[in-house]
Amino acid sequence: MNYNRPELLDRLAAEYVLGTMQGRARRRFERVQRSVPAAQAAVRAWNDRMAGLAAPVEPVAPPARVWQAISARTQPARATRKASWWQGWWKPALGFAFGVLMTTGIVLLVPNAFVSIDQLAQREQALPQSYVGLLVDNDNVPRLLVSSTRHGARVTVKSLRPIDVPAGKVLQVWALPRDKEGKELPPFPIGVAQPTKPPGSTTFEMSDTSEKLLSNVARLAVSIEDAPRSKGDQPGAFVLSGHCVKLW
Amino acid sequence: MTTPSPALEAQRAELQAQLARVALGDRAAFERVYQMTSSHLFGVALRILNRQDAAEDVLQDAFVNVWHHAGSYQATAGQPMTWLISIVRNKALDMLRSAAARHETEMPLNEEGEELDVQDERPNPLGLLMQAADALAIRACLEALDAAHRQSLALAYYHGLSHSEVAAQMSAPLGSVKAWVRRGLERLKKCVDGR
Repeated sequence: MNYNRPELLDRLAAEYVLGTMQGRARRRFERVQRSVPAAQAAVRAWNDRMAGLAAPVEPVAPPARVWQAISARTQPARATRKASWWQGWWKPALGFAFGVLMTTGIVLLVPNAFVSIDQLAQREQALPQSYVGLLVDNDNVPRLLVSSTRHGARVTVKSLRPIDVPAGKVLQVWALPRDKEGKELPPFPIGVAQPTKPPGSTTFEMSDTSEKLLSNVARLAVSIEDAPRSKGDQPGAFVLSGHCVKLW
Repeated sequence: MTTPSPALEAQRAELQAQLARVALGDRAAFERVYQMTSSHLFGVALRILNRQDAAEDVLQDAFVNVWHHAGSYQATAGQPMTWLISIVRNKALDMLRSAAARHETEMPLNEEGEELDVQDERPNPLGLLMQAADALAIRACLEALDAAHRQSLALAYYHGLSHSEVAAQMSAPLGSVKAWVRRGLERLKKCVDGR
């Protein structure tokens, strides 16, 4: 379907907001909204148009238990969540701010690392929609830059500093997903990276697109394994880890 | 464009400010947003779902969602209430459809094991549509539509009915209902945008 036709988008958005678009068509159009800004704008315009229709609906005070349940479900995660098993060595204090600082630093120090993205940016006037992870070791030294375009399955792993991989072992890349409440879900392997000398890079293919696999993945990590791991396997100790961010 | 009353405008501004605080993790602001909006939003969910327990679940999920995504509200701009209503309606519609999918196992049965005819006691939503039209100053414009077109629009919006459910309720062919809804939407757009 050609979502560039404004009149079509407008009609789809209207039926979506009204609610008469259902089932798989509804789910599909929600995905379209996430990737096509014009679709998002059309839905917003229809939400605005229809908001006034709700005004005369008689308000009904919800019972107190609703707020109690909401309040319980939105308690700060730290107060209720036990430290998960892989967080032991990770220093949350260095968290996101460090990742951002390092990414900025890398862009300044190793501009070559971004050549292809730069070229794209010049052509598109914007970075391509991608998932990017900057993986650091236990001393917070960046070692790998992992990236993949949003709708692609190929992952590029760029070596920033050497990694010591013993002979016969592999670098296994893991995704660490979270659910909607921010709770960690079990990690799953996304592929094996060939060690290369900096500033070389290698690629591997994932089983599906980044959008499908990584949209709820907050962090990426790497372990050194005897052999490539499969879904459901427990990872060995993570030697690298970092935030997985969406570039759009 | 009609000018909102100063009271409504003040409420909108407060809601916007509170949502900005919610995005920063301010729990007091979150509770205030709930106090300001939950009755209206619960009314909307109850209308669509026609079931107290389901409407409570929807309201709960919607506000948990608001807590986690208040930051994205800033990016989308627009009226804060519009944003909240869209979250609640979306969740209510999803729940309605998944309940409809389980319909057969959940229908109450009488002593002979036959399905009970559950009466829909909600008033005709056409009245609501025309009340809204008055408030939006688009009644005359909307009245240019056939009554059937307005009725199908109202059933879809307020009761969350699908095309085929509207067709069943109005004893009209599905194809006609789809066309009525489409024309209803076109007219609504013209009326609202033309104010």
